[in-house]
Amino acid sequence: MITQVDNPILEIHDLIVSYDQSPVLWNVDLSLPSGKLIGILGPNGAGKSTLIKAIMGLVTPSSGYVKVFDKTLEEVRSQISYVPQRESVDWNFPASVLDVVMMGTYGKLGLFKRPGKKEKDIALSCLDQVGMMSFVNRQISELSGGQQQRVFIARALAQEADLYLMDEPFAGVDMSTETAIFHLLKEMTAKGKTVIVVHHDIHSAMNYFDWIIMLNMHLVASGPNDQVMSEEMLRKTYGGKLNLLTKVTDLIKQKDFNPLKS
Amino acid sequence: MMTFDQNAFLIIFTASLIAISCGLLGVFMMLRKMSMTGDAISHAVLPGIVIGFFISGSQRGLEVIIGAGILGIFATLVIDWLRQKARVQLDASIGITFTLLFAIGIILINLLAYKVDLDQECVLYGEIAYLPIDLWISDSGFNFGPRITYLAILNLALVGTFISLLFKELTLTSFDENFSSVMGIPSKGINLALMSMVSYTTVSSFEAVGAILVVALLVVPPSTAFLWTKKLMPLIRLTCGLGIFIAISGYYLAYLVDSSIAGMMVAVSGILFLASVLIQGKKPKFTWELPWNKRRLALEDKQL
Repeated sequence: MITQVDNPILEIHDLIVSYDQSPVLWNVDLSLPSGKLIGILGPNGAGKSTLIKAIMGLVTPSSGYVKVFDKTLEEVRSQISYVPQRESVDWNFPASVLDVVMMGTYGKLGLFKRPGKKEKDIALSCLDQVGMMSFVNRQISELSGGQQQRVFIARALAQEADLYLMDEPFAGVDMSTETAIFHLLKEMTAKGKTVIVVHHDIHSAMNYFDWIIMLNMHLVASGPNDQVMSEEMLRKTYGGKLNLLTKVTDLIKQKDFNPLKS
Repeated sequence: MMTFDQNAFLIIFTASLIAISCGLLGVFMMLRKMSMTGDAISHAVLPGIVIGFFISGSQRGLEVIIGAGILGIFATLVIDWLRQKARVQLDASIGITFTLLFAIGIILINLLAYKVDLDQECVLYGEIAYLPIDLWISDSGFNFGPRITYLAILNLALVGTFISLLFKELTLTSFDENFSSVMGIPSKGINLALMSMVSYTTVSSFEAVGAILVVALLVVPPSTAFLWTKKLMPLIRLTCGLGIFIAISGYYLAYLVDSSIAGMMVAVSGILFLASVLIQGKKPKFTWELPWNKRRLALEDKQL
C-alpha cells in the first residue's frame, strides 16, 4: 500500500543501497507530503537508518536518486536538518550544552567565520523550546539520556531548516520527555515544517504520526496513518517474528486502552 | 662563545614552542580518537624525508617538508582505506601502515647511503642540545641565530593560524562528523588539512626532538590535561602550559643527570600523566580509560 503525492517535499526513486554487495534497501520508491509528522517503522536491520542516511547523502546509493524540494541535495543542504542517533557521538567531548546547540548554526555561517551574538541568541531560543534553559552552561558529559536527546533536537532546531530527519530520537527516553518531544514536533509541523522520524514503538506511532512508512529492506507501505496502520501491513513488515507479532496484535486490540500511557 | 644561560634559554624556548605546536594539534587528534594516527604519521613520513633529501641533496630543503607532507597524507589515506574498504580494525591498520612505511624509509636510507647522510638515531631521538651550534648564517655571513628556533617559531605561527581559522570546523568535525557533512562542511578536507599540519609539524620538529618525542608531545600533554578539565578552552590552555613545564623541567633534569633532553622531557610528561591519573582516579565521575589506553600504546611504541 504505497500512496504517492503531488508536489512532494521528498521524492525517492528506485533507491537501492548496499553495504559490501549485500543490499540493505531494495527498490524504495516513495514521495512524501510537506508539513506532516512522518514516522519510519520497521524491525531491526530493516534499513530505517540507512534510508535517512541515503536521503542526506551520508551513504551512496547503488542506484536510484533522492530529490528534496524537487532539487538535488547539494542545492538544498541548508534546508535540511539532522538528529543522529544519540550513541553516534562521544558525550565525554569537552563542550557545554550551549556549544553543542550553537553547532547547528555553523552551516549557515560558512568557513572561517566565528559564531557571534546572533548565533548565541538562536541557540538560546532553541534551548528554551526544548525546556533546557537551566542547563545552558552544563558540560554535555553530565547530562542524562533524555537531556542529551533534547540537546540534539535543539541543535537541529538551530539549523532553522524546513525538513528534519531524526534517527531514533525516542530511544532510551522516559515517558514525559517522549510526550514533550512529540508535542514539540507537532508544533513544528503546525508551522509548516516536515519532520521524518525513525521510530520503534508501534503504539505511540499510531497516536502521533500523520503519515507512516513501513520498511523491511523493501518498502511495505507509505501513506496516511489511518490507511496504513493495519494488522496486515504490520504482519508484512514484521512478518516471521511471531513473538513480536502477538504483541502487535495485542496492541492493536487495546489500541485506545493503555493504563501506562493514559 | 655563548654563555650557558643563553643556551639554556634557547633550548627551553625552542622546546616549549615545539611542545605547544604539538599540543595544539594533539588536542584535536585526541578528541578525534586519532592520537595513534599522529604516531603513525610521525613514523610514516620517513620515506618522504629520505626521498626529499635525495632530490634536494640537503636535509633542509623544502623538498624534504613536501615529501614528508605527501607521505603523511598518504599514510592517513591508507589507514582510512584499510579500515573502511578492507574492514581491518583501526589499530591494526595503523600498525600495518606506519611500520611498513617506516621500514621502507630505513631501507631507502641504507640503499641511498652513499648519497644521503641521514642519521637514523637523529631521526628517532633528535638532539636538541646541539641547537645552539646549528646556526642560520646568511650568504653575506650574518649570523641570525639557531636555525631550529626559527623553524619552531614558523611552525607555531602556522599551527596557531590554522587552528584559529578553522576552530569551529575542527571542533564540530571532531564531535560529530556526520552532522557536519549534512550541513555541507567538508569534513574530509578538514581532516586531511589537520593531518597535513601534523605531518609538517613532525618534520619541522624532527631534528630537535626526533620522532618519538613528537609522538609523546602529541599524545601525553592533551591526555593529561583532559584528566583535569572537561572544557575545551581550558583544555587547550592547560595543554600548552604542560608543554612549557615539560620543556623547562626536562631540560634541567637532563642537565642534572647529564642525559638526553628529549628523553627527559618524555619521562617528565609520562610521570605527570601517571600522577594525574592517580589523583583524578579518586574522583569517580571521570572516565579515564581512554587516555590510559593511549598512554599504554605510546609506551609500547617507545619500546619499538
